[in-house]
Amino acid sequence: MRPATLAKALAGAGVTGALLVLPFVGSPLVNDWTVRICSLIILAVSWNLALNAGLISLGHSAFWGLGSYAALLSANDLGATLPVSLVIAMLAGSLAGSGLAAVTGSLRGIFFAIATLAFSEILRVVALMTPQFTGGAEGLYLNPTLRPGSTPVTLGVVLGALACLAVSYALSLTRFNIACRAMRSSEETSKMFGINPLPYRVGCLAIAGAMASLAGGLNLWHGGFLDPLVAFDLHVTVLAQIAPIVGGIYTLTGPVVGAVLIVVLSEVTRIWLGASGYSQLILGVLLVVCVLAMPAGLIGLWRNYAQKRAGSGSLEAGHG
Amino acid sequence: MDDVLRLDSIHAGYQGAKVLVNLSLEVHPGEVVCVLGANGAGKTTTLLTIAGLLRPMAGQMTFGQEDLLRLPPYRIVERGISLVPEGRQVFPNLTVLENLLLGSYCARARSERQGALEEVYALFPRLRERVQQMAGLLSGGEQQMLAIGRALMSRPRLLLLDEPSLGLAPRLVHAIFDAIGVIAQKGLSILLVEQNARAALSLASRGYVLAHGQVAVAGSTRELQDSPRVKEAFLG
Amino acid sequence: MGIYLQLLIDGILLGGLYTLVATGISLSYGVIRVINFAHGEFIMLGAYAAFWAVTLSGLDPLLMLPAIIVGGGLFGYALQRLFIQRILNAPHVNQILLTFGFSLILQNIAAILWTGDLRSAPSVVSYSVTELGPLMVPHSRLVAFTVAVVLVIGMLAWLKWSELGRATRAVAQNHRAALLMGINIHLIYAICFGISASLGAAAGSLMSFLVTISPWMGFPLVVKSFAVVALGGLGSVLGTIVGGFVLGLSETAVSFFIPGGSGWAEGVSFVFLIAILVFRPRGIFGLAVEEDAR
Repeated sequence: MRPATLAKALAGAGVTGALLVLPFVGSPLVNDWTVRICSLIILAVSWNLALNAGLISLGHSAFWGLGSYAALLSANDLGATLPVSLVIAMLAGSLAGSGLAAVTGSLRGIFFAIATLAFSEILRVVALMTPQFTGGAEGLYLNPTLRPGSTPVTLGVVLGALACLAVSYALSLTRFNIACRAMRSSEETSKMFGINPLPYRVGCLAIAGAMASLAGGLNLWHGGFLDPLVAFDLHVTVLAQIAPIVGGIYTLTGPVVGAVLIVVLSEVTRIWLGASGYSQLILGVLLVVCVLAMPAGLIGLWRNYAQKRAGSGSLEAGHG
Repeated sequence: MDDVLRLDSIHAGYQGAKVLVNLSLEVHPGEVVCVLGANGAGKTTTLLTIAGLLRPMAGQMTFGQEDLLRLPPYRIVERGISLVPEGRQVFPNLTVLENLLLGSYCARARSERQGALEEVYALFPRLRERVQQMAGLLSGGEQQMLAIGRALMSRPRLLLLDEPSLGLAPRLVHAIFDAIGVIAQKGLSILLVEQNARAALSLASRGYVLAHGQVAVAGSTRELQDSPRVKEAFLG
Repeated sequence: MGIYLQLLIDGILLGGLYTLVATGISLSYGVIRVINFAHGEFIMLGAYAAFWAVTLSGLDPLLMLPAIIVGGGLFGYALQRLFIQRILNAPHVNQILLTFGFSLILQNIAAILWTGDLRSAPSVVSYSVTELGPLMVPHSRLVAFTVAVVLVIGMLAWLKWSELGRATRAVAQNHRAALLMGINIHLIYAICFGISASLGAAAGSLMSFLVTISPWMGFPLVVKSFAVVALGGLGSVLGTIVGGFVLGLSETAVSFFIPGGSGWAEGVSFVFLIAILVFRPRGIFGLAVEEDAR
């Protein structure tokens, strides 16, 4: 194994180990941070997965909210335990994702993005207007007797994040990834290569939807309360897209790096500046700066730097 | 005025692929110069470079005393160079009149708009009949007339024509080339890119044959017509 | 009978404002090909400008309208020149995220400067009503409608008859050919973005005396405008006008006929949007299929 690869593997193992230990520290603060970072990792990985296939989602809050409600209702009404409710949440998310993909079959780019945004907004209106299920604007609490304590929930979020990363990595090794990237450059091209985009589109959004719903479900167990504005908050979508952009889109580690950075940054600004307006303002500035100055994100910057350090001599040699 | 277009050792191309390699050519005032060459030889690229739609990677490009190299396309139109692009590129959902008026958008031409319009109508009476029609509804030949007319509206001193006969019936090709002849007689310099070598050489006084982005043969019309290479490839 | 007529009037008055907002979005997208998610924030800023004018100087929001239009235009022009200009050829995702970022920034600057409190800016026309038999026409809405119609018609006239308007249509149809006409397309882009922003700001100042103002008032309006634009067909100005009235009338009808309807009415535009995108992407929203991801 080359030293660089070895270093990467060691770093990955170290981070994984640390994450797995965190839930057992037992500090509410540590748990809270772990849940926030890991659920943002899940969201970011999910959003990046869809983007990898050229599907720009502005509706990740839809999956998040659906997952939250699926978990909440299955627990409160059917007595589902944490893992069972999460499976139900993921089913709901993947169903919504594949449905959305199938229905929007011919849309791409900005038009797909707008359709997902509308989808999320519809769900918010429906949730507000059906208080018999959702409690309406007043919201609903998770039945307190069902809550298993914060260690299992935190562990669940950590495991969920690791699982999503594993799935994302596994997919990147398969034909699925090649098909998705072909679709990203142009669905016409992918058709020419004999790839029918629709199944991949459905598959991709089913997986991405399940992931985002998982994050939503886990957060419900962490927070214990839900109302339509929280569940289908556009802010979730903003976070889901900003983390990959900051870290580096189309990469495996980019969303992780971005998620950690975003959570840290918004916590720090919250502590220093108080009102939440500042932390969102900084997110907005970050978004603009990233798009204009470093569209390949931190990972892209790092790669450029590493490439330069590897020596321009070899590059020139390869030129002739 | 000494409005010579001079391209000197121009290198140009698209991302990664260099199309023009060390290309030099000149067009003197009042001249009709044709550029021949196989597909992909760099004819259209040459015109796009002159018009400023493509920025050359290296070389010199001047028109009269002016350096064209760093000028955006709209400044080049102001300097008096106008391109009739391949495939006509009229504005389909604008009327014929609106298309023509757009031709005289630049400040230099705007004041002479009415006179230019009359000249274009005199050259292409068909356009006068269709002033209020949407350009997209015109036939191919009419669209070509419109495209040429629109370029003339800018009162150019050098007209660049890219494949004016492309996709037209022989009868219309004649009409278009007759019109180009009339324009040339008025003393306008013309740089003409054309597949139809015979028609092009009938109008031009000089020509260049491009191959792989370079000038392969250059000379007077007579010299080109006699060149075995031209005969074989374009007139055979 | 009277009630239907009343609904019709309400719907049309509402539709005029939707048309104004959507025309702005339609113009910037049609010419520049960048969907501006921050358009709603132009509305919000216009509304706050009117509010502060009333609060600080006691001027009527309507009197402030010309200044707000000019200010909005300059703001949009600068935004295009400084930022949007740089991502014209970037992938769609970058374009979306950039304007999304602007939206976030402007919302939160407003929230920080002016707090999230709901406000309103009463005008002289706020409290008067014309009664036509059983029908009620609030003057505030009538005035807002009239101004909106005048602005939209003004914009259309500019597009149709002015030198720059003609150049704008040319750029929208074929920007390469427009370059060959000697048109400075970046200038046209900036002017269009400026006009789009000034229409948004004008809509905001009209809303300042119709609805409550908050830093977050803009975004839902943007999504509604997408529905309006989709309804009418992208690139069709007449379609946008029709779309605005269809949405206004549908929302009014839904809030009247369905119990608890004002909540559901908020969802009408989203349903329209999805339905059109899904069922008629080629017909009504012609460009959705043609245009490839860049």
